[in-house]
Amino acid sequence: MVDPRMARFSLPVAAFATMVALVMATGAVLFARKIGFDGGHVRAFFLGSEAGFAPPRSLAGLLEVAVPHLLAVPLLLLVTLHLVAFAFGARRRPFSLLAGITWGCAAAGIGAGFAIRFAWPWLAPIKVAAFVGFQATMLAWLLLLVAALLPASGRDPRPGFTGTADAPPRAAR
Amino acid sequence: MRFLVQPSPAVLDRARPPVRAFLAFAVLLLVGWIASRAAHGALTPEGLSRILEPLPGERFGPVALWEEVHQGAFLYGFLLLTVGSLLVVCPVSPGVRNGLLAVATAAALVDLLAPFLPVAWPGFPGWAPLRIGAFGLAMAALLAAVVLAWVTFGREPRRTDG
Repeated sequence: MVDPRMARFSLPVAAFATMVALVMATGAVLFARKIGFDGGHVRAFFLGSEAGFAPPRSLAGLLEVAVPHLLAVPLLLLVTLHLVAFAFGARRRPFSLLAGITWGCAAAGIGAGFAIRFAWPWLAPIKVAAFVGFQATMLAWLLLLVAALLPASGRDPRPGFTGTADAPPRAAR
Repeated sequence: MRFLVQPSPAVLDRARPPVRAFLAFAVLLLVGWIASRAAHGALTPEGLSRILEPLPGERFGPVALWEEVHQGAFLYGFLLLTVGSLLVVCPVSPGVRNGLLAVATAAALVDLLAPFLPVAWPGFPGWAPLRIGAFGLAMAALLAAVVLAWVTFGREPRRTDG
């Protein structure tokens, strides 16, 4: 099932998967510590809180976080999904479905902060759901990536695939 | 991706200029990263303790530590993937390639995770020199990998059959 050419890239891909796992884990801790996982905390984070002496988030402050994430998150998703698709020759429908959920959660997660602050504070649960959905689907992608790196014993090559770990295929699929 | 999985000479010729430009920027990134840490005082044990050591009562360490690991792991991940994947198609012995990548990855993990030692065990001695040493080793291994890829990418493998 796994493309045999993946074997040559196992070390850099394993290093990448390890670092992405760290990024996701630290992202979860930062979300929990700075924003929180219930609607009240999320609203207080974006709209400010008199009790906590916290001012509302400014547009500049929101953009300071959103802009790097608008580069980093799509780049991370593009590379991770590309590697999984390359490794497994993923079937179109399940791959697209999971990828769509991940992209949707990423977009909702980044956009929800602006919506809560400037449009409708009651969207706070969407922010939490998008973050949890993003983390869960990224965990699934990382597990798939790790599965692609496991030893290939007992696996059959993909039908019609002519490449090996050391040589390119004789004909492109 | 095509030149990585189907590295024919013609494809490699076309890929060489953008790959070398990317690697030049990777060197700038690494040098900039070292300079940034130096400017923040993070290359001395005292400076590092001031920035990242948890204050009394800070059970999970400062937020700045988690943010730094969040960003650092992203940078390390992409550098290791891109430079490591380029080295796969360079005529470099697997031992050298895997050795450089393994050292860089291990050192990067120590660099990122060493500041959590005083969070888990308050007063843990020596974490700051450990982190500085690991950062130095990670940077040296990554710079060596980048230079090796720059020099060898697209070259014909050396013939060993006489």
